[in-house]
Amino acid sequence: MSDYAIEHGHAGAREDPTDAHPGPVVYLVVAAILTVLTAAEITVFYVSALQPVLVPILLVLAVVKFAFVGMFYMHLYYDSKVFTIFFAAPLLLATLIALGLLLLFSHLAGVLSFTIP
Amino acid sequence: MAAQPKALGFEYPNYLQEPRGIWGWLTTVDHKRIAVLYAVSALFMMAVGGFEAMLMRGQLMVPDNHFLSAAIYNELFTMHGTTMIFLVVMPLELGFFANFFIPLQIGARDVAFPRLNALSFWVFLAGAIFLHIGLLKSLGGLPDAGWFGYANLTERMYSPGINIDCWVIGLLILGLSTLLSGLNFFVTIVNMRAPGMTFMRMPMFMWAMLVTTILILLAFPALTVGLVFLFADRFLDTHFYRVSAGATPILWQHLFWIFGHPEVYIMALPAFGIISEVIPPFSRKALFGYPMMAYSLVLIAFLSYGVWGHHMFATGMGPFADATFSITSMLIAIPTGIKIFSWIATVWGGRLRFTTAMLFALGFIIEFTIGGLSGIMHASTPVDLQQTDSYIVVAHFHYVLFGGMIMAILAGFYYWWPKVTGRSLNETLGKWQFWITLWAFNATFFPMHFLGTLGMPRRIYTYAPNMGWDFWNYFESINAFILGFTFLLFFINLIWSTRRGEHASSDPWDGRTLEWSLPSPPPAFNFVTVPMVTARDAFWVRKYGSVGSHGVAPAIAGGAAATPIGAPAEVQEHIHMPAPSIYPLIFALGVFMMGVGCLDWVRLIIIGGAITLMSIFGMLFEYPSFGQFNPEMIGESALGLDSRKLGMWAFLGSECVFFAALISTYMVYKDRNMGGPDAMILNIPLTSFSTFVLLTSSLLMVLALAAVQRDDRKWGSIWLFGTAFFGMIFLGGQAFEFTGFVMKGLKIQTNLFGQTFYTLVGFHGIHVLIGVCWLLVLAFATAAGRIGKDRSLAVEIGGLYWHFVDIVWVVIFTLIYLMRTVKHA
Repeated sequence: MSDYAIEHGHAGAREDPTDAHPGPVVYLVVAAILTVLTAAEITVFYVSALQPVLVPILLVLAVVKFAFVGMFYMHLYYDSKVFTIFFAAPLLLATLIALGLLLLFSHLAGVLSFTIP
Repeated sequence: MAAQPKALGFEYPNYLQEPRGIWGWLTTVDHKRIAVLYAVSALFMMAVGGFEAMLMRGQLMVPDNHFLSAAIYNELFTMHGTTMIFLVVMPLELGFFANFFIPLQIGARDVAFPRLNALSFWVFLAGAIFLHIGLLKSLGGLPDAGWFGYANLTERMYSPGINIDCWVIGLLILGLSTLLSGLNFFVTIVNMRAPGMTFMRMPMFMWAMLVTTILILLAFPALTVGLVFLFADRFLDTHFYRVSAGATPILWQHLFWIFGHPEVYIMALPAFGIISEVIPPFSRKALFGYPMMAYSLVLIAFLSYGVWGHHMFATGMGPFADATFSITSMLIAIPTGIKIFSWIATVWGGRLRFTTAMLFALGFIIEFTIGGLSGIMHASTPVDLQQTDSYIVVAHFHYVLFGGMIMAILAGFYYWWPKVTGRSLNETLGKWQFWITLWAFNATFFPMHFLGTLGMPRRIYTYAPNMGWDFWNYFESINAFILGFTFLLFFINLIWSTRRGEHASSDPWDGRTLEWSLPSPPPAFNFVTVPMVTARDAFWVRKYGSVGSHGVAPAIAGGAAATPIGAPAEVQEHIHMPAPSIYPLIFALGVFMMGVGCLDWVRLIIIGGAITLMSIFGMLFEYPSFGQFNPEMIGESALGLDSRKLGMWAFLGSECVFFAALISTYMVYKDRNMGGPDAMILNIPLTSFSTFVLLTSSLLMVLALAAVQRDDRKWGSIWLFGTAFFGMIFLGGQAFEFTGFVMKGLKIQTNLFGQTFYTLVGFHGIHVLIGVCWLLVLAFATAAGRIGKDRSLAVEIGGLYWHFVDIVWVVIFTLIYLMRTVKHA
């Protein structure tokens, strides 16, 4: 942290942008994991026996892949937590809005029926 | 250690004096000049919108009136609403007040992205002009489907003219401007606060603007998606809102109000902030309940995303949805009530000075409370079902928008005008304006409650006599003309005072916040030395030693700033201000031409696109510091982070809402297909390959960043070219897939599956295409030796965008492709 930042009570100032980022080895490991997870997704899609649990498995795999790219390739795991908040909060809101829309339209389509006794 | 804020010697030219001439204004990137440009444009539009209101009241003055035709009346109420919301209230609050005072109140020299700020203004102006293109002879008139443009009235078969096209494209252009402003102000407030100015030391106006910008970033994408669907329906013959194709116009209402209700707070919160700034100095007390005032802003913003359905009770969402939206709508009254009580508590026991600004602020509290109370009525579903589309609703939102927002804007004008121009507005004229406004406003809008109760529907251009509506309509119209007259007084006051008004001192109101430590008007660079903030109400504390909360502070008007302290001449040499730029204006011109081209002149789209692209490249390489890592700037920033990176993350957050709206629409419509190909047509092997390609491109991207960060330009450019190449392979796969679908009979117009699929995946493809272009620029720049370790930030930011495109594809691949057989997913 620079003297200037310390003097003025600022937190998290960095002198060098490369300080916190991982090296190529980590990137290659993450790439391997992503490849395996994608292969697993495609496998799950084609295996008939897994059709009853297709949705939860695919959702979990997608969330894990999403998290790996976000944490390691986008450096959220290493960078300031401010960036994580900037991204995660809108993501949560977007998810809630999407779920809200799906629920509202499911009701309109008669798929789900909300009744108040 | 940074010095305390100094009042400058007046030997420095103020921001209005230099640079001189029209070119100086066209190329300005100074936030204060841009604010003035916004103010002039918005005040002109205020006159236009007000004139439209006068015409409407003239028509409604007597029954069976044919002063205006029904068609022209439709255009007037549509444009009055659109103008007042998008071209008056928002630009005055965000473009003028926020632009001018955010840097001054947080102790910064400008906003985070000055050129982007200029670009926002010129794009705003382009959008404002575009909305009115229909006025040109033989072009079919103005938009006429209401400010909320309900589908399917806006579909081509019901509105065949170009007026709705202008509305759709105009709002898309204005949305771009607002989104960029929101992004800019958000990063500015978060990251450019002066040393010591913690969040809990910020002026309340800054809190209001911080929350407002978050609302903008997360609300406007929903409107954009809704407008894109409407655009596709009108220009590409899709049917996102056509019942005959299995779609529902209710989708528009959801998307519009997911934006529309936060939009109410996008207009209300800056007004709350202005009032929170005006009341304390004229009560000679600190703002009561500061922490609760700040938290209540956050709570209002959060709740505002869960109340959109209260605009749609009449659509039959069902009892569960109605009850949920009813409860959340009532809950929002709690944080709003906290604010009203805190303002009253601030006034209570204070030594009041009834300046015009204070009068308008007090007027705001009363009128906004009345509007808020009728809002709680509408939150009750059974009550709302009786009141919806009646004049009670017109009364309600005018009490909120005029009694609330316009009163606050007028308070802000009288309070801050001395700082903006160096001359005070005439107080006598101002007080006349206030008292006449108070009477005329209430006399115009309060009787609308009666008319609504008597059954008068809104948006009717005339009515039969003897329905019990005659007297109140006549009464309202007379008072509306008086209300219009008050704005004539206001404009006269603005023009006269700016030329001949009393010269204002730097601190005419004995202010509490940093802007009052500067001369009126301030110099271009605002602060000679960046101020060190040690407490809330920073300037007050500097003058009097303590905040003096709840007590009556010593009234020494003028304070420390009354005596200008000359700064050493050499200090100015160290202040680096951004250079002026013509590219923002050129960019807006290109966008405008593309918009006009969409109407009927396809060649203009290409010319406009070329001009826009040229201006982007111009801006990219205009500054030698392009992409440069700047430890000094980061050290000076409030969070110790690079503003450009913060801006990209905020943009990506906004993009989450954009894609969420697209994805949820796909999933809603997936099972409503009325024949033709469906999701089973999707080519899983091909897209599995594309997915691997895109994931691999992300690996190459981080390898490129790592290479550039260790100053290995050769491998940096190789990996960047590789990333772009893989992106092109992905795009090629998408083009192949789309071509195959078209050959199998699946076009964008074919059915609901086709239109939602092509729109969602197509927009992702457009993002990939932009990413590829971006990567190629970076790759060539790296290969040419222009990007190395010192400019690795350019690659890092480009990489963030690229990885975001990647993770969006992770979601699309799962939900759209791999779950293609899942019903109701």
